[in-house]
Amino acid sequence: MPEVKLINIGKTYEGGMQAVKDISLTIKDKEFLVLVGPSGCGKSTTLRMVAGLEEITTGDLFIENEKVNDLDPSQRHIAMVFQNYALYPHMTAYQNMAFGLKIKKVPKAEIHKQVMKAAEILNIEDILQKKPGKMSGGQRQRIAIGRAIVRRPKVFLFDEPLSNLDAKLRGQMRIELAKLHKKLDATIIYVTHDQVEAMTLGDRIVVMNQGEIMQNATPMDLYLNPNNKFVAEFIGTPKMNFIKGEILKIDGELFFKNNHFLFNISKVNNQQLENHIGKEVDLGIRAEDIYAEVGNLENYGKVHAQIVAIELLGNEKLIYSELEEHQLVAKFSAEQEVQIHTTIDFYFNLNKTYFFEKENGKRIN
Amino acid sequence: MKKKKWLPYLFVAPYLLHLIVFVAFPVFFSLFLTFHKWNIISPVEYVGVANYTRMFQDRMFWKAIFNTFKFLLIHIPLQLIFALALAEFLNQNIKFKGFYRAAFFLPVIVSGVVVTILWQQLLGFDSGLINRLLVIIGLEKVGWLIDPNIAMGSIAVMATWKNVGLYVILFLVGLQTVPPSYYEAAEIEGASHWQKFRYITLPLINPTIFMVVILSTIGGFSLFIEPYIMTGGGPLSSTLSSVLYIYKQAFEYYHMGYSATLGFFFAFLILMVVMIQKKYIETND
Repeated sequence: MPEVKLINIGKTYEGGMQAVKDISLTIKDKEFLVLVGPSGCGKSTTLRMVAGLEEITTGDLFIENEKVNDLDPSQRHIAMVFQNYALYPHMTAYQNMAFGLKIKKVPKAEIHKQVMKAAEILNIEDILQKKPGKMSGGQRQRIAIGRAIVRRPKVFLFDEPLSNLDAKLRGQMRIELAKLHKKLDATIIYVTHDQVEAMTLGDRIVVMNQGEIMQNATPMDLYLNPNNKFVAEFIGTPKMNFIKGEILKIDGELFFKNNHFLFNISKVNNQQLENHIGKEVDLGIRAEDIYAEVGNLENYGKVHAQIVAIELLGNEKLIYSELEEHQLVAKFSAEQEVQIHTTIDFYFNLNKTYFFEKENGKRIN
Repeated sequence: MKKKKWLPYLFVAPYLLHLIVFVAFPVFFSLFLTFHKWNIISPVEYVGVANYTRMFQDRMFWKAIFNTFKFLLIHIPLQLIFALALAEFLNQNIKFKGFYRAAFFLPVIVSGVVVTILWQQLLGFDSGLINRLLVIIGLEKVGWLIDPNIAMGSIAVMATWKNVGLYVILFLVGLQTVPPSYYEAAEIEGASHWQKFRYITLPLINPTIFMVVILSTIGGFSLFIEPYIMTGGGPLSSTLSSVLYIYKQAFEYYHMGYSATLGFFFAFLILMVVMIQKKYIETND
């Protein structure tokens, strides 16, 4: 079974730049794994090490139980789709897809069979005679994927394949890629900086930052249970709100204190919070967990702030307000009546709050 | 207001002056001369198309053209192969890249006269370094510049050595415009070095190849300094290039009208050759 195993993989460039630090990761057979993180986090380097385009400085890489550290890219049974597609401009789509087989001297009839099969899967039979320069971005994308399919690899590697497409096409291709994954029953490692892409495509997501894995979990788990402030902030649109403050214990009850308000957080899972009494922490709350009315919230904190901007998204709207140095964003339903430049009360659902250590961003509760 | 009107003309005047004195006037005067006989001293004499009919019967001129083509036939392939090989070499991750680049380019900026004199030291029959080396290792001397069958080849090699640096730079620029991901994609497909070069590099640097062929064709057609200094066109007129012959007609025999005629015809010939090359080498995309 094509399982990919990274064991303590590290990459140090000449000159000492450490791009990837000691990563261990297993990609299961037929899994769609997404590596996501901001640019420069080492996700592409990691992928390129799996591909064999980048030498592995430390650690071992196994593909289907075979150590491949020193194998050439072509011997690793992988196929890669590049960010800029890397389609040869002087060849037609067909020639591009057939190139790998042609240089391996596969008989023409066999090449034709493979190319046509891939073309059928991707629905690109009609553009096979076109050259990349005459194709749209989406078509090029498909040809690049077709070229990968023709190789019949054990593992597909995608390096930010959708980042050159416009937003609409990106959405469309996302759905196609998800379908393709099912159709091909393939193991896929997919790199992106776009957390929406990661959330919608991945069976599992690995969030990376500064060459390290921040969290490795399913999309929903990442969203609901971020391990640290970085993941909490990176996953989800709009970004999670963070407010600096301090944890206090008054009369046996726990409070989160800020210059503007005091939240009673006794009812929030307080086991861990007890250990941080008197310490500075960051409170995190997602936009959808902030309300304009108390409603049936049982456990809430009230914040008084002025609305500085409103973004209407159709069925909902984003309300931006400022609280000292913090910018708060709340997601209200579109019917909610609010006026810009007015000051209103925001109600935080304290059951949905996250607390992070100030020094290292580690999750507390 | 009045001042402003002639100011722009003043700014373009240096260029215009240069254009008129060194381009427009010589071109039109040469065209005028092609229908005349003139030896600088005596007055210009109208001869109709006599210069043209003479040209078509001038066996020496056709020999010079033949020599020039022979030169090009050796020079251009050599130039292409060496320039591309050196550019490919410089495009790798090697040490002292800057040094090599400068070293290859050095002959380009050295005066052709100096280069020619240097090569005379190498190619001389009795005292030339190469022949002395051949004698030391027990081989016979070669008449690099005195054997009519070899002389033009020697000059072609020398001209290649002198100009290759320029084309190395052009090819290097061409090579660097090929996105690295093309090679990476080919690497994943298992392409060998040669296959990558054959199927990716060559087609993608086609515009550069075309440019190099055109430039070295035009450069090669104007072959002059090397045979002028080294062999004077000999032995047995085997290194008499077209330009050298045109020069001789003008400044040794003072056949100004005839020389101008040859010059015009020769320019026309270059145009034809370049157009043919354009048709066959340059591909679309």
